Amino acid sequence: MEFEAVIGLEIHVEMKTKSKMFSSAPVTFGSDPNTQINPIDMAFPGTLPQVNKQAVINAIRVSHALNMKIDNLVVFERKNYFYSDLPKGYQITQQFRPIGSDGYLTIQTSQGEKRIGIERLHMEEDTCKQLHSWDFSLLDYNRAGIPLIEIVSLPEMRSGEEAAKYVEKIRSIVTFLDVSDGKMEEGSLRCDVNISLREKGSTKFGTKVEIKNLNSINNIQKAIDFEISRQSIILEFGGHIEQETRRFDEGSKETVLMRVKTDAVDYKYFTDPNIAPIKLSKEFIEEAIKSSPELAESKLKRYKELGLNEYDSSLLIADKDISNYFDSGLKSGCSAKLLANWVIGDVQSCLNKDGESIKAFPVSALSLGKLILLVEKNEVSNKQAREVFAKMIETGKEANELVKEMGLSQVSDTGELLSIIKEVIDANPQSVIDYKAGKDRAIGFIVGQVMKKTQGKANPALANKLILEEINRR
Amino acid sequence: MEYMNKSLTQIHNALIKGEVTPLELVKEAIEKAKKDDNNAFEYICEKEALEAVKKLDESNKDSLLWGVPVVIKDNYSTKDIPTTASSNILNGYVPVFSAEAVIRLEKAGAIVIAKTTMDELAMGGSGTTGHLGVTYNPWDKSKTRIVGGSSCGSAAAMASGIVPIALGSDTGDSVRKPASYAALVGFKPTWGRISRFGLFPFATSLDHVGYFSRNVYDSAYLLNVLAGHDDKDFSSSFKEVNDYTSKINEGVINKRIAVIKGIIDSIKDKTVLASFDESINYLKKQGATVDVVEIDINLLKSIFPTYVIISCAEATSNNANLDGIKFGNRIEGESFEEVMMNTRTNGFSPLIKRRFVIGSFSLMRENQDELFVRAQKCRRMIVDAFNKVFEKYDAIYCPASPSIAPLIKGSSDTLSDEYLIADNYMAFGNMGGYPSITLPIGFENNMPFGANLTCKPFDEANLFSIANEIEKGTGLKDLVAKEGR
Amino acid sequence: MKNINKETLKMAANKLMFDMSEEQYNHLLNEFDVIVSQMNLIGKIEGVDNATPMTFPFDVTSTKLREDVATTPLDRDVALRNAKDVVDGQIRLPRVVK
Repeated sequence: MEFEAVIGLEIHVEMKTKSKMFSSAPVTFGSDPNTQINPIDMAFPGTLPQVNKQAVINAIRVSHALNMKIDNLVVFERKNYFYSDLPKGYQITQQFRPIGSDGYLTIQTSQGEKRIGIERLHMEEDTCKQLHSWDFSLLDYNRAGIPLIEIVSLPEMRSGEEAAKYVEKIRSIVTFLDVSDGKMEEGSLRCDVNISLREKGSTKFGTKVEIKNLNSINNIQKAIDFEISRQSIILEFGGHIEQETRRFDEGSKETVLMRVKTDAVDYKYFTDPNIAPIKLSKEFIEEAIKSSPELAESKLKRYKELGLNEYDSSLLIADKDISNYFDSGLKSGCSAKLLANWVIGDVQSCLNKDGESIKAFPVSALSLGKLILLVEKNEVSNKQAREVFAKMIETGKEANELVKEMGLSQVSDTGELLSIIKEVIDANPQSVIDYKAGKDRAIGFIVGQVMKKTQGKANPALANKLILEEINRR
Repeated sequence: MEYMNKSLTQIHNALIKGEVTPLELVKEAIEKAKKDDNNAFEYICEKEALEAVKKLDESNKDSLLWGVPVVIKDNYSTKDIPTTASSNILNGYVPVFSAEAVIRLEKAGAIVIAKTTMDELAMGGSGTTGHLGVTYNPWDKSKTRIVGGSSCGSAAAMASGIVPIALGSDTGDSVRKPASYAALVGFKPTWGRISRFGLFPFATSLDHVGYFSRNVYDSAYLLNVLAGHDDKDFSSSFKEVNDYTSKINEGVINKRIAVIKGIIDSIKDKTVLASFDESINYLKKQGATVDVVEIDINLLKSIFPTYVIISCAEATSNNANLDGIKFGNRIEGESFEEVMMNTRTNGFSPLIKRRFVIGSFSLMRENQDELFVRAQKCRRMIVDAFNKVFEKYDAIYCPASPSIAPLIKGSSDTLSDEYLIADNYMAFGNMGGYPSITLPIGFENNMPFGANLTCKPFDEANLFSIANEIEKGTGLKDLVAKEGR
Repeated sequence: MKNINKETLKMAANKLMFDMSEEQYNHLLNEFDVIVSQMNLIGKIEGVDNATPMTFPFDVTSTKLREDVATTPLDRDVALRNAKDVVDGQIRLPRVVK
């Protein structure tokens, strides 16, 4: 029997706004426990939620990027349940009217292009963080109230690869839109997988298994692939799938049972009466979209128009910060192609060596652009430029300053160079004769002599040109 | 000389003339509070009040509240002052911030001298269910009658002449009912007119900051101080704030007042009805039109059950934060579930737990349509019916209670069909978010009773002017229960 | 609607993280009798089923949102002063088993 996997994903994205979803406490990562909270985050009696404008703007931008319908009335519901990490005893979310609905995104897989439907996108708030030791747990409320976006796909993926591509794309969107760090390892992007199998060609759904605790895109793909084969074997032998929650075990690369699902929890949703419905004007929504940071797709298109090839372009957009660096470098007016080579080559290898983020890179994109301009104007050679670049990293100084300090500027003055060339040719008449007799190599000797005289500072291209002209004149 | 049994204006004049100082006023109020035997207080903030007097801002002397002692219902968050909402689950809780209403009172120069008792978590109407027990009606020296709730301590403190202003809260009639039983003016504004930030929620969509005063003018004046948008409350209105005292003497000529037939019909007490008629006759004489208007009796009967379902549902969610983890009277256990279970089982009274179960049951998936959503639909029908009356009338006027304050024996806050309309109709004011005021209109056996006046949203100025006229007619203002009466 | 009996009420109470005495469950059963009969009466009011459920007392729709500006957080000692069991600046609970 041949089976088909039916896969849907729920993705939680933690926003990197300045303040929380419903309180003005700061959103920071890695602060001391319980130092980034205000009375609202602790659910002290009498506190009321105050909706964060930037969170709404972010939700609009992501919804738009996912081709969703955007609801112009923002309403929140309460999801009621008790848990140790839930300060209010309910989570404020958007159950009945998600801000985004009915969208899709297109992924490229080894099988070609595929469109994945997205059911909904809504805003909600994070819970507090629990630190578990062997006999007790500690609660840190810094995370409580950080804005979240939840994106729920339709069950339209069929393989681990498709799911991985889908998450990759979502991650690219939320990072390029500056909505989130999108770091799965650090929990700022979390993904739950729902997966069931059915006979190929069937339209009925099989029993759904949920997979949690997936902390990388790689693991999503591995977990799904494992789960497909696990379920296939069970079904093949006439067994049946339990409705359960499993987690991915990193060591064994297998999914393991967490708990068997009983009846669906009743969250007793109702509209939160603390938040008067908020009407978003057409202008507000349009402005949020218009002022939205550029998406990877659009950058890709633009890079190609600049003359970059597909490969280089996709390397640049693989990381939002790298592509932003590239974009600011372009402002120097230097050649896009050269800049791309530098960013992908020299800059990246420096970063890889030091494990640094481009944001902390000591050479600004604009400074790099100015260095490239010097190369373009033949003021330094490529080889010299690399030396200058190394010094720039070391000292933080600008290229032109270093070129002077290092005494590198090429002799590009035609008059100066010509008089040196004349001297050399005058001193080596045999070379002229040899050249005219067809020995092209004789030119190399002249060039070498000119370089020697200028201590290597002669602009090679210019020198070549002038030597030929001078010889032909004789 | 006593001052705390007087009105704001009288006290202010005495302060201005130098007859008395804020410190003397605070001392008088605290002395009286300490002698209270009606169970009006959760906590008397003597030290804090004496400190606050020292810090009074002289430049604020024009405020009628400047240097005036006030009390606050114990469901308002008060920074560094214990706040329990009269529930054991909050024993020991000391808030880290003050409610917006409290901050505005203090900015106007008021001195908080005490937190007052209430029905536990404001979820009652008798003033008998707080963790400190029954609060008595100061008008009944034999201590056999309730003062009403849930703002019982604030009402008792006012009626005993301990302070001239007291903050309460009103979700069904929790200020306006006790006002009727204690010869006070009890007011709640339009929903969203006063910030709820820092008011412990009972049922958010019905909760209002409300307060007691000794006369209608003081009530209007206090709204000037408390009204206005607050960024911290996303349900608070952006509508501009008027001077609510400016139209207070404009009279009732050509004003149209509706008396609801089904409500009047449900009241049997002849003394109450007679005094009510008297006040109507006075209003007519002053130029108002007063008509008896019908509203479907089934809708009037549905006010109470609708209120119960919605308020209990919202309350069960609003109070889910009381789990003993972050604050409150935590009782340990072997697991976090046990901690919550022990804390909540021990922390809430049986009445509260029953209401939470009712609310939670109403919200369950398989019950929501027949209970919670049906109640929300019925709320719409009720509000539409009253809105229709407001299309033709400035105000709705009816007795605020079917009788004088009931005996403690027999008032239990158990849900029943008795007095379905007369005792519970005022919740329509919360459902529609209407501004609403209760004021005294008569006495029976030396026990007071009042009438209630309600206007359309944001029509407070009109409300105060009509109420002021009624007050002129009855002559009943600045009343305090006398010793040995 | 869910069957209302002592077991379902006890389950509802336990989901709210508390328990009650037998006597209270009986009391509650009586109260539910009153409520359910009243709600059934409401169900018979003409037009109620077609009415739009009302959450807010009147149209309170707003356009205002809070600007995304962080304010000074609470001092940790103040934030945690009402918690009964604090260790290393964090609230302690018995181990939460996932």
